[in-house]
Amino acid sequence: AAQYTLGGMRLEGEVETGARFFLAEPSKTRAAKFQEYKDVDDGLFLQRFYLRAFTADDAYSTELAGAEWGSENQNFSLTSGRLGVWQFNFEWDQLRHVLFTNTRMLAVEANRGVFVLPTRRPPLAAYNSAPEQDDISVRWDTARMGWQYSFTPDFAVKAEYTRIRKDGDRPFGIVFGSPGNNFLQVLEPIEQTTHDFRLQGTYATERWQLLFSYSGSVFVNDERRVRADNPCFANAGQCSASDVGGPASGQVSLPPSNMAHTFSLSGGANLPMRTRINGNVTYSLRLQNDSFLPQTINDTIRNDPQLRLPQRSLNGNVQIFTALLQAVTRPWTPLTLSAKYRLYDQNELSDRPIFDGVVPNDRTVNPQDHRAARLDYTKHNVDLDARYQLVQPLAVAVGTAWERWDRSKGREANTTDEFFGKAALDATPTDWLQARLTYRPSFRRYDRYNTFARENTIVIEDVAAEATGQSKLLRKFDEADRDRQRVDFDLTFTPTETVTITPTFSYRWDDFVGSRLGLQNETSWSTGIDLNFTPNQWFSFSTGYMYEKNDQHQRQRQRTATLDVVDFDWISHNVDTVQTAHTAARGAIIPSILEWAIGANWSYALGRVDTRNPVNPSSGTAAQNATASAKPWPAFEDQLFRVDVALKYHFAKAWTATLGYAWESFEKKDWRTDTLNPFVPVPSTAGLPGQTSIWLGGDIKSYTAHIIGATLAYRFE
Amino acid sequence: SPSSGPAQAPAEPPAGYVGAETCKGCHEDAFRQFETTKMGRLFLKHPRNSKESLACENCHGPGQKHVEAGGGKGVGGMITFAKNDPTPVAQRNAMCLTCHSKGDRIFWRGSPHELRDVACTSCHRVMQDVSPRHQLAKPTQIETCGTCHIQKRAQQMRSSHMPLREGKLTCTSCHNPHGTVSQSLLKEASVNDSCFTCHAEKRGPFLWQHAPQNESCLNCHDPHGSNHERMLKVAKPRLCQQCHNETQHPTNPYGRDAASLKFMLGRQCLNCHVNIHGSNHPSGFAFTR
Repeated sequence: AAQYTLGGMRLEGEVETGARFFLAEPSKTRAAKFQEYKDVDDGLFLQRFYLRAFTADDAYSTELAGAEWGSENQNFSLTSGRLGVWQFNFEWDQLRHVLFTNTRMLAVEANRGVFVLPTRRPPLAAYNSAPEQDDISVRWDTARMGWQYSFTPDFAVKAEYTRIRKDGDRPFGIVFGSPGNNFLQVLEPIEQTTHDFRLQGTYATERWQLLFSYSGSVFVNDERRVRADNPCFANAGQCSASDVGGPASGQVSLPPSNMAHTFSLSGGANLPMRTRINGNVTYSLRLQNDSFLPQTINDTIRNDPQLRLPQRSLNGNVQIFTALLQAVTRPWTPLTLSAKYRLYDQNELSDRPIFDGVVPNDRTVNPQDHRAARLDYTKHNVDLDARYQLVQPLAVAVGTAWERWDRSKGREANTTDEFFGKAALDATPTDWLQARLTYRPSFRRYDRYNTFARENTIVIEDVAAEATGQSKLLRKFDEADRDRQRVDFDLTFTPTETVTITPTFSYRWDDFVGSRLGLQNETSWSTGIDLNFTPNQWFSFSTGYMYEKNDQHQRQRQRTATLDVVDFDWISHNVDTVQTAHTAARGAIIPSILEWAIGANWSYALGRVDTRNPVNPSSGTAAQNATASAKPWPAFEDQLFRVDVALKYHFAKAWTATLGYAWESFEKKDWRTDTLNPFVPVPSTAGLPGQTSIWLGGDIKSYTAHIIGATLAYRFE
Repeated sequence: SPSSGPAQAPAEPPAGYVGAETCKGCHEDAFRQFETTKMGRLFLKHPRNSKESLACENCHGPGQKHVEAGGGKGVGGMITFAKNDPTPVAQRNAMCLTCHSKGDRIFWRGSPHELRDVACTSCHRVMQDVSPRHQLAKPTQIETCGTCHIQKRAQQMRSSHMPLREGKLTCTSCHNPHGTVSQSLLKEASVNDSCFTCHAEKRGPFLWQHAPQNESCLNCHDPHGSNHERMLKVAKPRLCQQCHNETQHPTNPYGRDAASLKFMLGRQCLNCHVNIHGSNHPSGFAFTR
């Protein structure tokens, strides 16, 4: 390869650039999934760039690297430093996250986040011929800057700054009454910036180590609200009387600006008898004090004295204290004992304002006092483990653990205790086989369950809240009593130095004992195998397959305040099956001159939600029975298939020409979105309002893409 | 010290050691590869202390007996770090930890990987650059971690996923495989703190909190990938209905019927409850405002 020097610095690097063309390109309205995280266009592109300049003694160096320059997903980085002493790095990374490319919207964005309809509202069917929007996407621009310095090999400091800027839009609904009334889907303006600062200092000797760190995060949202006109306002003949009487326009808040600070001190020490102790204390502070929006912009009620705000902002203040103490010892070679205690204590010190009245539906005042209850919790974890190397190829481990949650009274189960057992077997009977088997049962129980915890802490003086709220039979899955069985089994065969075969199996069974309603049980299992074969530097082959299945069984009840009967129960089996396969191979036709590579990935997911009534609903009126009757839910599926083929020709020592071809196919069938138009006309039926809501009509569509490309790479050193 | 200039390799190796040039005599290919790596450049050209100046023998152990016995695999008590090296993993790892015990590796001892006898060299290749950074055993982090965690690697191929397979995120964006203070080897103190690193808009504190979001994003999301939009664990509205069996907003067994469509099409429950992660609106207690 060519030798280069510049100003006394030696140079090495590589640049690869070329051109690509679509033989078949997804149409604009079908391109959302294809472009989800990538920006692929016809024409010239830079595959990658790398340049390293270094002094003759290799003490100082500077690296400049990048990829996809000029595209929406471009990346470049600059790293400079003195070997083993200091390093400075800067990185710029862009990512465009495309959500939809086929939305339609009649409302006009008069100002950022303000969507206006004609004063005389159009017929709802007109929304289906509304103008198509540009791609609905969010661009992430991430800048990172870091500097680290090693005063000695034992003492180093590090400083980092990361700025994430997000610009774009995403679908967002404005509801004009709820439930039963209409909503309009518009666009949430995304103009957000996160500044992240980190400082770290670490000192290490062979006996002990110390680490101090600080991180600060400032989140700034340039947009505070979304406002949109109501398509049904005074639109008699198109909407139900209830919808017609809704507000002229509505307003919804956006995430508030906030900040967080975290201070952490960690340490570890090696003690006699091959004992190690580790410890950590961390204190975090989350703050948020954005001023509240008014209760409503509905002119007919906005001046109601009950809607006066008790304070201008939350004074949001959450403090988190985390502590860890861990000890590991090997009193004699075959035995390892470990113990760990961890505390996570989240304290809500924000104000608890009481609102004399609220406007949850933006149309009528709810005169009940509402208190913004604060939710916090403390979590304790204790782990005890013992591992014994019975003989050189066989080790067994047993252990136990305990996890306690202490939650504030705003949650249903204030205290839950979960006890774990652990048993593991690690075997290496020969140098070509390794087996790992793990069994982890656990049992979680709550002390008492208050179904109306939320109503009790949020709505004050509302005696009807309990009667109209949650079912007393429901147990929420994150707090419910649960018995869990979990098994993981992995094997690694290496029959020769060049072959690795890795079968794996995993099984988890959750039984929510005592949950009359809610999630009843969940079975999750997967099995797969990977094979790698690399006989020499000129050929390699790998392939793998994974089958995963998740099966949930939930039982619910269709209830009203006056009708709560067992024959209105319904059961839903939610089953997701995912299969994934991959294959990759590369080889040399003429070693060092002509090489080939092929890669293929396939993923198929099938989702089923099968809902049924254990007995036919019969306790209500005909309409009530019909509402309580389970409705069919067709399966939904998606499939991704991609093949990449490349032929590489190395010539003139430093040059490589590559000819590549890619085929990517995505197929999706999902009745919930496949035919979604902005307006989906559904006639009013037996006592139910007609469908009067308006979507953007966005959906990810099936597509096929064929791409051919050629690149030329030059490598120098 | 580095600030006063790098230490030079001693002219004469200490007793029992033979020096890198002697190793090179028989292991020239390995030496050539190693000297291009960052660690190789540091040890061979700019050692910062006497330990680093031992170069090959800093990790493999003193080589005199090996040389005197005429060489050979494992002869003379050398640590080879190969898969079939009889040296216990803990002892092999201890060699690495003599230098790499600070910073992100402070909690290695007692970490899940350490307790299961995972060797440093299971994930790192010291003798040659296979990956652009961190001297990994495979070209990318996903391939390296996916050697054992093949189910997690498969999940990134699901239709709803974070941009891992597109190369914009890596496993260590969230995890530190060397040990951490939190569960699942997360870099931050909790699941939520990890997510808030990039999704700070969901950090709040909000006026109205959604309890499962406040405690763990994993109650609803699977960050490794899902076949449901937004990496949700279960199809909506079934996911929401698992915790909401109410009368004011009846828990209907929605399906593909006319009356259900508003609750089933598009974003389902989130058509109306748009601020499901928390609301700062005075009337936002139902997350619709």
